[in-house]
Amino acid sequence: MEFILPLLGRFHPLFVHLPIGILLFGILLVFIPSKTNATFLPSIRIAFLVGFIVGLMSAISGFLQYQQEGYTWDTVQIHLILGWITVIFSLGLYFQFRKAQELTQPLKIQSGLIFLFITLTGHFGGNITHGEDYFLEVLPPGLLATFGIETQTVAQFTLDENSWEEALFYDGAIQPILNYNCSSCHNPRNLKGELDLSTIKGLMKGGENGEILKVGNLKESALYARLILPHEDEEHMPPAEKRQPRKEEVELIKIWIETGASVDKTLAQATVKRTSVQAFFRKEENPFFPITDLKPVSSDTLSILRGKGFFVEQISADNSLLRISCLNFPAFSEKDWKSLKEISEHITYLDLSDTKAPESIIDSISGLTHLTTLKLNGIEIEGKGLAKLKDSKNLKLLYLNSTALTLENLTQLDGHPSLEKVYIFKTPASGQEKRDFSFHLETGDFLLPKLASDTIVY
Amino acid sequence: MNQLERLLKEFGEQKLQNRTRRHFLMDCVSKVGGLAMAPLLFACDPVVRAQSQALNLSGRDLNPLAPLPPPFAPKAKSIIYLHMAGAPSQLELFDYKPELLKYDGKPCPESLLEGRQFAFIRGVPNLLGPQAKFAQHGESGAWVSDYLPHFSSVVDEVAFLKAVHTDQFNHGPAQLFMQTGSPRLGRPSIGSWVTYGLGTENQNLPGFVVLTSGGKTPDAGKSVWGSGFLPSVYQGVQCRSKGDPVLYLKDPDGMTRDMKKSVIEAINSTNEESFKDFGDPEILARINQYEMAYRMQIEVPEVMNINDEPKAIHELYGTNPGEESFANNCLLARKLVEKGVRFVQLYDWGWDTHGTSKEESIDLGLRNKCREIDRPITALLLDLKQRGLLEETLVVWGGEFGRTPMQENREGKEQGFKGRDHHGEAFTMWMAGGGIKKGASYGLTDEFGFSGIDERVSVHDIHASILHLMGFNHEKFTYDFQGRPFRLTDVEGELIHSILA
Repeated sequence: MEFILPLLGRFHPLFVHLPIGILLFGILLVFIPSKTNATFLPSIRIAFLVGFIVGLMSAISGFLQYQQEGYTWDTVQIHLILGWITVIFSLGLYFQFRKAQELTQPLKIQSGLIFLFITLTGHFGGNITHGEDYFLEVLPPGLLATFGIETQTVAQFTLDENSWEEALFYDGAIQPILNYNCSSCHNPRNLKGELDLSTIKGLMKGGENGEILKVGNLKESALYARLILPHEDEEHMPPAEKRQPRKEEVELIKIWIETGASVDKTLAQATVKRTSVQAFFRKEENPFFPITDLKPVSSDTLSILRGKGFFVEQISADNSLLRISCLNFPAFSEKDWKSLKEISEHITYLDLSDTKAPESIIDSISGLTHLTTLKLNGIEIEGKGLAKLKDSKNLKLLYLNSTALTLENLTQLDGHPSLEKVYIFKTPASGQEKRDFSFHLETGDFLLPKLASDTIVY
Repeated sequence: MNQLERLLKEFGEQKLQNRTRRHFLMDCVSKVGGLAMAPLLFACDPVVRAQSQALNLSGRDLNPLAPLPPPFAPKAKSIIYLHMAGAPSQLELFDYKPELLKYDGKPCPESLLEGRQFAFIRGVPNLLGPQAKFAQHGESGAWVSDYLPHFSSVVDEVAFLKAVHTDQFNHGPAQLFMQTGSPRLGRPSIGSWVTYGLGTENQNLPGFVVLTSGGKTPDAGKSVWGSGFLPSVYQGVQCRSKGDPVLYLKDPDGMTRDMKKSVIEAINSTNEESFKDFGDPEILARINQYEMAYRMQIEVPEVMNINDEPKAIHELYGTNPGEESFANNCLLARKLVEKGVRFVQLYDWGWDTHGTSKEESIDLGLRNKCREIDRPITALLLDLKQRGLLEETLVVWGGEFGRTPMQENREGKEQGFKGRDHHGEAFTMWMAGGGIKKGASYGLTDEFGFSGIDERVSVHDIHASILHLMGFNHEKFTYDFQGRPFRLTDVEGELIHSILA
């Protein structure tokens, strides 16, 4: 008869709704205005008596569940204490109502208090079964932010390129992969399929269909086998509508099972190859456009510039640096530079192609600290002052197509700290003998060979 | 009552209705409340923010094509999308299947046909081996057939998607799906979404230009570059490479530029009046299109003129000014992108190789089609590269689906020529340029090239990746229509990380 107690415990989720409903009904009667102030007293008494009895049943079944199902004291603490307080309080109130001839102020206050207790008990109980973020999950991020709640997500699994060999295979790789891809459903609270993948203990224990890991046997290890089923398959994990793990992650799980599913070996001890893990190396995020804390340029300033003929736009809504082009402003000349001075720190992309920009424009440009892309196609310059562009320490792409520049001019730029490519299509330089520079020189002048097949008509 | 009186009466009533106190109060209830709630709920969403700005009739409403910054720093500034209408055969171009050659002429295994539907194949067709000779090219070792000899020299610039799949097997719906994200009419095309989100950079040119070649427009009609439920100002503008680039762009004899200007000013002021009365944004679109057309009159003939290009460029592309050809369109695409057009869409018709005629055969007609695009496409990639435009331009190539590994047997009969039926299970597309990993190849098909067995990619995945490269999160980039926010990728789509640099 050992099953009786756990079975009774499992009735807890059913019982708990009774005191909530019945006591609330009693409380409602207390606060409903009535002519004689005592009209509902008999009903209130019954409500509190029955409420107490079912409350007691809930409390006992709840206690049994706590004992039998392995909840820790920390998890249930508040819920349990508040539950018992509610039960005892409701009995006390019942006795008071039995004596009372009419609804007095203290009785009303106490009824209000017990309402508070039921609510809190119910809330903390719900937290245990549904998780503490049950309500928060569905709220839009904007609203959460106004309440100052930060939404946190489990990070994707990464390894350090230099020390990956010392990382533990399970703790350092498999568990983070499971946390990122599986644990949102398979955790102690949610326990989909009665499976907990948030710890090695849960993984070894398996789920409702038994063990999910057979060391060295991929076919019988559901942990792997269900990942590689076709997406349409009902058994496929994660469910088709959820985010799928990366191929490399699945592959690493495979290797882990094949190599003995060790818990204490490091990746190197398990003879994992570099090629299997290199997809996880943290990439140095090196964005093309520099990240600054510059404030966005005011829309008034932008409108003025647009009115002059410039194309001006922020790189993106989250980056205040500006892209500026004279696409519709071929008349741009030296005097127009003045209007750009005010926003010079913001300029990161500057296209002055086919304008009347003079030689001296290079001097002005060299002061642009955040410039990454500079297009000077088709403008009349001799290129004597190109060396000054070395001051633009973020410059990566330089377009000098259709200018009169020679390789001698470009030598000034050799050794530029950030410059990656220089385009010199249709310049005297493109025809000259190639030289090695610190940057890539794109001379263009591509030709396609004439092939016999170009003219064969079938 | 004659027609005029009736119209005047209707106009008067409408005007009155727009002014009654009752209507004002009714609107207040929903709109003021909504306005108060909006910043609280969606304050962080740039697209929504842009929309609510539009509610207040700011710059974007008065000029719907005004440029806007994308939410994230983009990898590409413009797109050239090369759509081979009719669906080219991946098995003759990129997806090398030596195993299929061994089974050439043998009946197709029943297991492949079970539960499948084909457009024309009935019963059990025979397998048809690849008709082209394949070789690996470049440092990336990409397989390309001898149908594309020039293109095989630039494969290291390109990332291949070899297991794309679609659920449509008829041209119209499949083209709509590929271009609008839905096989049914009514959704905006990729180009419209992009122009809606970013506006146009060159104020004298439309943001979305369409060029067609091959003698026909796509089967799905102009909806493949339509704006769907987006304001119509975002639809693609079709330009012709033969004759006037845009019909009726030239002023008629006797009409001077000044006269034209005063005509348009008069029309626009009348339109502005009625916008003040009705507040219909379509009127603004109208006003803008008049203004745009006026500005286009100068810029379009200039940018659409390829006569002044140097001889070397004409040789590179294989262009012949004055005719409607894919080569001319490729050169125009480069010129348009150079001039700041966001989205250039090319359609080339004639890839529907069923084997019903010589033109539609995969060993003869397809070779001719390949010759028409091989040089121009290669030239386009090289020309963009030498001008540095490939850094900021995304080039996409593909059809609306692929073709079967089986010989088509229309009406159960043998065909006169070698041909393949429509097949959406697995086909090849490629991308190149801004933000694309050079020389990458993603996707694996089975031994017959029938279906993708690994790294499959859906149409939505491609759309998600295109929007990503333009600086959008495809899940956040929405437009409210008929009570719900719509996305290009609807409720699907994942980024194809493996081909992103």
